[in-house]
Amino acid sequence: MSRVLPAGPGLALVALLALLPVVIGAQVVPGKPDAGGMPAPTVALERGRAVYVLNTCHFCHGVDLTKATMGAAVLLHSPLVGADENGNVIGAVVRAGIPNLQTSMPAYPDLTNQEVEELAAYIHYLRQLGRHKELMGASVAAGDAAAGRTYFAANCASCHAVTGNLKGLATNYDAATLRARVLGPPPPAASVDAGAIAAGRRQHLTLLEKYSDDDVNILVAYLQEATK
Amino acid sequence: MLSRRQFGGVIAGLPLSALVSPPPPWERAADAVRFGLETFSFHDLPPAGDPRLIPTIVKNMVEIGLGECEIMSGHVEPWASYTTGWWVQSRRAPGFQKVREQARHWRLTVPMDYYRAVRKQFDDAGLNIHLYNVNFNETFTDQERDRTFEAAVALGVTGFSSSTVLTEAKRLVPFVERHKMFVAMHNHNNLVDPDQFATPASFEKALAMSDYFKVTLDIGHFVAGNNDPVAFIKTHHDRIVNIHIRDRKRNNGPSRPFGRGDTPIKEVLRLIRDNHYPIRCYLEYEYGSFRFSVEEVKRCLEYCRQALA
Ligand code: HEC
Ligand code: HEC
Repeated sequence: MSRVLPAGPGLALVALLALLPVVIGAQVVPGKPDAGGMPAPTVALERGRAVYVLNTCHFCHGVDLTKATMGAAVLLHSPLVGADENGNVIGAVVRAGIPNLQTSMPAYPDLTNQEVEELAAYIHYLRQLGRHKELMGASVAAGDAAAGRTYFAANCASCHAVTGNLKGLATNYDAATLRARVLGPPPPAASVDAGAIAAGRRQHLTLLEKYSDDDVNILVAYLQEATK
Repeated sequence: MLSRRQFGGVIAGLPLSALVSPPPPWERAADAVRFGLETFSFHDLPPAGDPRLIPTIVKNMVEIGLGECEIMSGHVEPWASYTTGWWVQSRRAPGFQKVREQARHWRLTVPMDYYRAVRKQFDDAGLNIHLYNVNFNETFTDQERDRTFEAAVALGVTGFSSSTVLTEAKRLVPFVERHKMFVAMHNHNNLVDPDQFATPASFEKALAMSDYFKVTLDIGHFVAGNNDPVAFIKTHHDRIVNIHIRDRKRNNGPSRPFGRGDTPIKEVLRLIRDNHYPIRCYLEYEYGSFRFSVEEVKRCLEYCRQALA
């Protein structure tokens, strides 16, 4: 190296800081990718990423949950993980491990409750990110509006009405935009003060983990008909 | 530190004898055991089939200062190892049959110069590929097994390391005898399937089948299966080609940074050194870290060197 740099502990600190994501309030401006993928967007999620990466989950399940190395499961599409709330399912699987496979999943009995919750929150974040990307990129097919009506009644009607706060959607948006609006923005949800909005945004992120490709198609078909 | 140009200026004024390049770092280190690595340790390589893959492995090894390796088939062939059926789960994946047929066709038709060209890149850097890691399994045809032994010769290795099963070992007996090349069985820690390599007894069954069967003892997986690597090495040192060094916890516990699991790495390395066993000690980096592989493998090597200091 021909460039002359000042030496000393000050430089080491500057170098270290340069590698860390910049923290602004609860939000983190992502830094450079490392061996565990991209730094997470919030301090809490970054703690979850540390649990995920330092316990080697990424070597088998991938930094974005899409891999199934060593015969592992694709966590992005795992119904088991979809049923998890705050680590109640993930924690049980991870603490017990899955022994006696050809290449077993190790057991992590030493994880604390806090670590399990942080880990689960990070896994859900990665699933929402991954599903948002997949659903936005999915090939759109004509959906069954009647099925969409049933799905809406069960999953959306607590917050929305087609003749109320969603009225006029089909006139304002074309099908592609409507689809993007149904999905909402990718995680993390920008934090807002109003409680109802914040709860709605959280619910939309949860829905990202539950939607099948067809669920989104039938919802769009229904909203196109019912919100004119 | 001197820049390249400054360095050139310095050497211009030196006698010719000073220009002879210094020995490579692994020779200068003069370790008391023979260190190497399983190329699986590099988790951030270009994908299988990418022309930059082998040069990256070579560059990484030179940078770390390790002179030899066991190379994964997934780093030699243009697809990942699992596409040739090594995880039972991968054989159930949709489209597996088609990909498997393609891989078989490639294996049966690729000229042996392909493997020689891989070897040459290591030779040119002064590195040795000691073992070819091929995970023989029931999806191989006999023709394919034969070709794979020929490939190993072209690759210039002394034998195979293999994550395989006892039923496949039985099929391999005529091949190792005919090609006069060993296959070293590699263990995991499945303690209930009697076909898997995990316990001393499972290894002993294969060792009894042919003198050409040997052992690649993964001391981390062995400990995760609650077995004792020190005792096993004392008994079977003459049939062990190499060990994979990783530090797992007992009871199917996770991989941890060296020194933080339950694996007696120090005791194993000292046992091999003190008894002059010709067992090669290969690092296998598989614990969690935010650092990229080269840096982490350097730490593994440093830990092992300290253990022998
Ligand atoms: C050595 C590879 C390996 C590591 C490391 C690993 N897993 Fe797994 N994981 C597996 C395998 C194999 C399965 C089982 C797949 C099957 O059932 O066929 C699995 C299954 C799972 C499942 C159940 C998914 C389902 O749908 O059944 C969860 C959840 C999971 N892993 C989470 C994790 C987390 C979190 C970590 C890190 C703390 C982790 N795993 C580390 C290999 C691994
Ligand atoms: C817990 C309450 C809640 C549930 C349940 C819910 N949403 Fe929402 N939804 C909201 C909130 C709040 C917003 C506004 C978010 C914002 O402003 O960022 C919203 C926004 C939307 C929008 C965008 C509207 C526009 O004008 O652009 C659509 C479309 C939508 N939701 C559809 C649905 C569908 C379809 C479901 C069911 C599958 C659903 N929502 C379930 C609370 C909810």
